[in-house]
Amino acid sequence: MQNFKVILLICSLLAGLNLPAQENMKRIPAGSYKPFIKGLTENVAVEAFLLDTVQVTNQDFLEFVKANEQWSPDKIKALFADSAYLIHWPEKYLQNESKTANQEPVVNVSWFAANAYCKWKNKRLPSLHEWEFAALALPKNSLDNNELTQINHSWYSRKNSTRQTVGSVYQNQYGIWDMFGLVWEWVYDFNSVVSSNDSRNKEEIASGFFCGSASLNASDASDYVSFIRYSYRGSLKGNYTTRKLGFRCAKSIEEN
Amino acid sequence: MKTKNFLNIIFIILLVSIISCNQKSERTIVDPEEEVKGVVHAELTDAPLVPPRIPNKSNTKVIVNLEIIEKEMRLADGVDYTFWTFGGSVPGKFIRVRQGDLVEFHLHNHPDNLLPHNIDLHAVTGPGGGAEASLIAPGKSAQFSFRALNQGLYVYHCATAPVGMHIANGMYGLILVEPLEGLPPVDHEFYVMQSEFYTSGKYGDRGHQDFDMQKAFDERPDYVVMNGSVGANTGENAMMVQVGETVRLFLGNGGPNLVSSFHAIGEIFDKVYVEGGTLINHDVQTTLIPAGGSAIVEFKCEVPGTLHLVDHSIFRAFNKGAIAQIKVVGNENHQVFTGLEKEEVYLPEGTAIQKISKKTEPSDAVMIELSHEERMEAGEKLYKQNCLACHMDHGKGIPGTFPPLVNSDFLQARADKGIGIILEGLQGEITVNGEKYNNIMPAVSLSDDQVASILTYIHNNFDNGGGLVKAADVKAWREQK
Repeated sequence: MQNFKVILLICSLLAGLNLPAQENMKRIPAGSYKPFIKGLTENVAVEAFLLDTVQVTNQDFLEFVKANEQWSPDKIKALFADSAYLIHWPEKYLQNESKTANQEPVVNVSWFAANAYCKWKNKRLPSLHEWEFAALALPKNSLDNNELTQINHSWYSRKNSTRQTVGSVYQNQYGIWDMFGLVWEWVYDFNSVVSSNDSRNKEEIASGFFCGSASLNASDASDYVSFIRYSYRGSLKGNYTTRKLGFRCAKSIEEN
Repeated sequence: MKTKNFLNIIFIILLVSIISCNQKSERTIVDPEEEVKGVVHAELTDAPLVPPRIPNKSNTKVIVNLEIIEKEMRLADGVDYTFWTFGGSVPGKFIRVRQGDLVEFHLHNHPDNLLPHNIDLHAVTGPGGGAEASLIAPGKSAQFSFRALNQGLYVYHCATAPVGMHIANGMYGLILVEPLEGLPPVDHEFYVMQSEFYTSGKYGDRGHQDFDMQKAFDERPDYVVMNGSVGANTGENAMMVQVGETVRLFLGNGGPNLVSSFHAIGEIFDKVYVEGGTLINHDVQTTLIPAGGSAIVEFKCEVPGTLHLVDHSIFRAFNKGAIAQIKVVGNENHQVFTGLEKEEVYLPEGTAIQKISKKTEPSDAVMIELSHEERMEAGEKLYKQNCLACHMDHGKGIPGTFPPLVNSDFLQARADKGIGIILEGLQGEITVNGEKYNNIMPAVSLSDDQVASILTYIHNNFDNGGGLVKAADVKAWREQK
């Protein structure tokens, strides 16, 4: 009888660990990866965490804005977002709700707004390392390492004028959709790696991410896909909003 | 006597060194403290055009607005590519300022763009040539100013990581810093820039082509082009000048990898500003333009005709697209060039001997008659060996140069079914399907049997009413003559 109880307890514990922790999120297991930038450590350890399956949509963001007026396009402070904030929403976006709310990823949002959204959802923005680690996973059912590079190259090589809904490009082996190929994503510490705007000065090798020192800094100078992503982040500031930049949220896994 | 010679030599050496010193002292040094008067907005042009000189007498503040646009455009006929551009075309806009001018530069990254960009102008004295000051996310603008201290023709390009990819996708152009009083006047100035493209498909593969990173690493471009696409300035888009006029070309090489051996077929450069600087060389056939470098060449067009501007690494020109054209129109000058005095076709490989005479001899060969099917099969092979080079595989010829064989009213109107054209050749003006042609087709030395096969093929395959031409018909034609 005593034994049975113990077994039951163990079973329930195991079940708890294996539960899909939250709706629309997937568990990214702990691991380590070699970051694109040479620097402090060879490999960076990443703890297990939860990540949104898809990017935050216009519909999701509209709910947030309705509940938090200070983040509406007409009320937001200039400090937190530039003048292009949510500029793709119709002028009377609340009256035009059917146009505003859709399943396309929300863009034209600043880092501050993205951060506030995640907090409101009781989540947070993923760290750069978490995002990069999760993005390394190959597309579902793929064993070909080149496939991710291909997705990126065709993304960069085509004028992406048509808008797409979330969950349309590819799903990776963790079950996460569209890490590449839809829109760029904010990460919590987007500017932690790239603080300088030019990097051909030798003394700035540690921080630079362009031109000559970009290639001196990269762990793999042939990894153009990563170069582009890192230089993109390097061009951003927290209040910037652009037409091809959205986000998704992450969540730490609570210790039991 | 010997001493006298020696003194003479010394004297010459001294003279030469004085002259070269004088040349050196012509370089003007700009004092950045010197006052700048007035403001102008720079006029920017797309290749092959060059903006006019800024006329102001003293140094001026020049405002430059340049917009970065990522857009899909034609790379060759039937081939599209997503170019990253300075100003909406490749190469980027031509910028013209004077030595000592203060340039206020505004760089705009269009909000629809996917990527961050910046600009490194080789004309800038300052960190990164402006790159540091100008990295901008899509939907942002950056502003910086610089004093044009050095004269010369300079390349500008994007310097955002990965730099090679930004350049390979079209992000380069030229900025001219000319002397305050301007370069000596010429009749025409043009802007020509060479560069390479690395595409997922081979040269000529249809449809949209992606950037191929591996080919770029290996420095094996599929396209080498003048002014951004195959044929950008050839045919009806060629640059036009008159006989007797002088031309100055502002030449650049965007790379990203290759060095250009720039040559104008049919012209000698009277003057070359070596590498776009102040050193002037004369009487040059081919000048080297480094990747990320430039040259200015000048020449006078003495005779009419078409000049082909090429990279004389010649496979790039004739097989990868590196050709632009200048059409020189006006009267012949036979003192300079006589034009064609005599023409014979010399094709030792693969084809029958061709003559440009009207003589043809009856053959004594044994007559062979083949079935329609056999004639078609033999005719196709013979057509490819003898006719395809001009009339093309599809039989449509080349408009204006080689007449079409497809549904040809000219051919169908001939009682001899075309036998005489092959055996005698054809010369002078003819009208085919409403279009005039004036060219020479040499007589082709083929047997009766071969002529019959070729003509059967042409009449059936190219929609000329079909039918069978027999060897006997050809023999009869010869005997009649």
